[in-house]
Amino acid sequence: MRTTSYLLRYWQLYALLLLPVSYFLIFRYGPMYGIQIAFKDFNFFQGIGGSEWIGLEAFKEVFAMKDFYLTLRNTLMLNFLDLLVSFPAPLFLAILLYEMKILWFKKLSQTILYIPHFISWIIIGGIVYQVFGTQSGMINNVITGLGFDAIPFLTSKNEWLITYLLVGVWQSAGWGTIIYLAALTGINKELFEAAGIDGAGRLKQIWHITLPGLRSTIVVLLIINLGHMITIGFDRPFVIGNLAVREYADVLSTFVYRVGIQSGQYTLATVVGLFQAVVGLIFVLGANYTSKKLTDEGIM
Amino acid sequence: MNGKKRKAWTKKGSVVALILACAMVFGACSSNSGGSSEPSSSGNGGEKPSKRVTLKVEVFDRGNSPAGATITNNYLTNYVQKSFGDPNNIDVEFVPVPRSEEVEKLNVLMASGSNVPDIVFTYDPNTFNRYAKQQGLTDVGPLLDEHGKKLKEFIGEDLMAYGKYDGVQYAIPAKRANIGKYASFIREDWLKTLGMELPQTTEELYEVLKAFKEKDPGKTGGQVIPMGMTIANAQFEPLLWSFIKPMTDEQKYTLTQQLGSNDYPILLPGFKDGLLFMNKLFNEGLMSKDFGLDNDKKKLGEDVSNGKVGFFSEDDINPFYENLMYDLLQTNVPGAKLTPIDAFTNEEGKHPKPLYAANGMYIMIPKSSERAVEAVKYLEWMVSDDHLFHIQNGVENENYKLVDGIAVAMDDQPQDVLDRLYNSGDMGIISNGKQLGSQEKNLKARAMQMPSKFFAEVEAAQNIALTDGIEPLLMSRPIEAQTKYATTLKDKFNEIIVKTTMAKPDQFESMYESLMKDYMASGGQAILDERIEVYKEMQSK
Repeated sequence: MRTTSYLLRYWQLYALLLLPVSYFLIFRYGPMYGIQIAFKDFNFFQGIGGSEWIGLEAFKEVFAMKDFYLTLRNTLMLNFLDLLVSFPAPLFLAILLYEMKILWFKKLSQTILYIPHFISWIIIGGIVYQVFGTQSGMINNVITGLGFDAIPFLTSKNEWLITYLLVGVWQSAGWGTIIYLAALTGINKELFEAAGIDGAGRLKQIWHITLPGLRSTIVVLLIINLGHMITIGFDRPFVIGNLAVREYADVLSTFVYRVGIQSGQYTLATVVGLFQAVVGLIFVLGANYTSKKLTDEGIM
Repeated sequence: MNGKKRKAWTKKGSVVALILACAMVFGACSSNSGGSSEPSSSGNGGEKPSKRVTLKVEVFDRGNSPAGATITNNYLTNYVQKSFGDPNNIDVEFVPVPRSEEVEKLNVLMASGSNVPDIVFTYDPNTFNRYAKQQGLTDVGPLLDEHGKKLKEFIGEDLMAYGKYDGVQYAIPAKRANIGKYASFIREDWLKTLGMELPQTTEELYEVLKAFKEKDPGKTGGQVIPMGMTIANAQFEPLLWSFIKPMTDEQKYTLTQQLGSNDYPILLPGFKDGLLFMNKLFNEGLMSKDFGLDNDKKKLGEDVSNGKVGFFSEDDINPFYENLMYDLLQTNVPGAKLTPIDAFTNEEGKHPKPLYAANGMYIMIPKSSERAVEAVKYLEWMVSDDHLFHIQNGVENENYKLVDGIAVAMDDQPQDVLDRLYNSGDMGIISNGKQLGSQEKNLKARAMQMPSKFFAEVEAAQNIALTDGIEPLLMSRPIEAQTKYATTLKDKFNEIIVKTTMAKPDQFESMYESLMKDYMASGGQAILDERIEVYKEMQSK
């Protein structure tokens, strides 16, 4: 009786929930049916059901591949460096934007900072080539024009790494500020006024009010990012990377594309995908656990 | 700020944060879902000509459809429907597949089980072998005997062998009109400025390149690229193959590795010398510095048309298309002269370079198709009467005029008439290039398609492409290791070229050793072993 009246009263809310829930069922849980491909010798024409079970055969094959470890290492390395470089960037930017008092300039800066996020990686790749190329890139034209040797930004692995990371910051930092800016609006303005009266300067205010106010957001984002340590987007390493720096640029996603999709070996692709999912889950749970212990903040 | 507004903002903020967070968490892990809908094989025993059926045919989409046409509905598709479809009570439906990712897309189509076209094709022999091995293709042998007499005659028995797997005719190989691939090109006006002759050998070429670099005859202001290079086959293959030592049959069959549709000389004696030469050119500044980034030849095209490049190799007629390399070069640099030459020589003074196999695409009918008979009939129709000719040449006195039995494209065709044939190469799937009965005529027809001001150059380039050509090898049975490792090894092969070329001369040796070791461990050895085994079988037969 109580449930009926409860449902009668709130049915609209449940109706609203219907769409997202069905989204997850159809697009996030339904495809899990396909995970079994990892344990089967997938045959295009027999389909998933008709292919033969092969147990852990495919896992053994993947774990015996040298390229698997190379791409795994690169994925972790690029993500870890990205975390070091790209994770704090939006935080700094957001605080800077928040401190800006001239409204029109603030809006203008925000818009300009967001733009790179909307440019596809393919186009960014073209721009990067034009700007950083060794033969006729803009920067190297200036460098050689001044009489120095050209710097191989794209074809020498360490230089490439720096290019890769900075291009990532350029592309994502502006967009990343949105979450922080949203969280910043939640900080009580009176705190700043009170601190100001007590004699705290700008930097002190940032340190003692703004940053603590952002703490939970930072932790949540950090946990989410850690969950992604093992997965990496396809476009960025694929477009910015090249054969000369394959030692660093070849990552799990490009490996899956080459070995799984291009060579038509879906079994191997699924094995790697499943491996990534499991490790990613471990990372998230681990980060969540640690964070709860240390700061009482977590995502579940 | 008033409290209410702030609260609203906080909420909004957290909602935004939550949505973004969700998108981040769940956006990353996407998984492949492959429906397993088995095609219902509804006992379609007898033919029912009274019922109108649909024949689905794959077509490459290059995204170049002119206004008013789509890749599935244009002049040629309408021609097919009217001339073949309607009389036979068939609706011909075209299924577009992007050209640049044909294999990936075809794999997905095949795995999806539904909506698989009745006629599919690929240039990639490994994809064909994989499908055949997985028992996914229709044996077209009996169908050809019954419905494809002209088709068989058109293709010819020798060529048909390319479409066999374990002795079964699982594919119909398309016929190639011209098997020449590559030629090289040099800026003759630069040579004239320097008072030098056209180089006839690799050594002479090296001297010329050095002079290009030192004296900069094109006045590029230090931007000169003596040899244009990329990481696409057309640029490095002529150079590398010219260093391969004369080989015995056994070496040829066992030490070559076929990755995709090309043979690679990776284990053949002389390969390393080729790499050494590239290393020397690179370190002396005689080669494009960023060649390892240029895998679609775009940069090369740009540099050639801007008059920076002195010498390069390319697909024989590619530089001569309207509004491309040479055409643009003439606009940008008045007086520029680009001349086809055959500069690379091997130790016998010959100019070896790879040729195409005599077959073009592998045309296949999936086993699940219920329209296999119609599919063969479609191909039979294409080679009958003048249908192929019409697809390739259009309408007489509007698109072409007949000169000595060769269709010559008319100058100044109105755009809509010209647009009729924008996809003719992708519609006449049974043939790569125009078929006129002899290589000589085919080549002439090919040259006539090009802008007439370049006719002499095109003819010269075509001849160079055929000089001392090396034919791709056909093993008596498919090499399974190649099917499996080709994509990975193709990448590693390119990596070897890029890295050994860019290495400092004193690091070349160690770089070469370690990369070769990696190549062999990643499947190269497996291919070698299998090829040796198959070669023994071929010998004992």
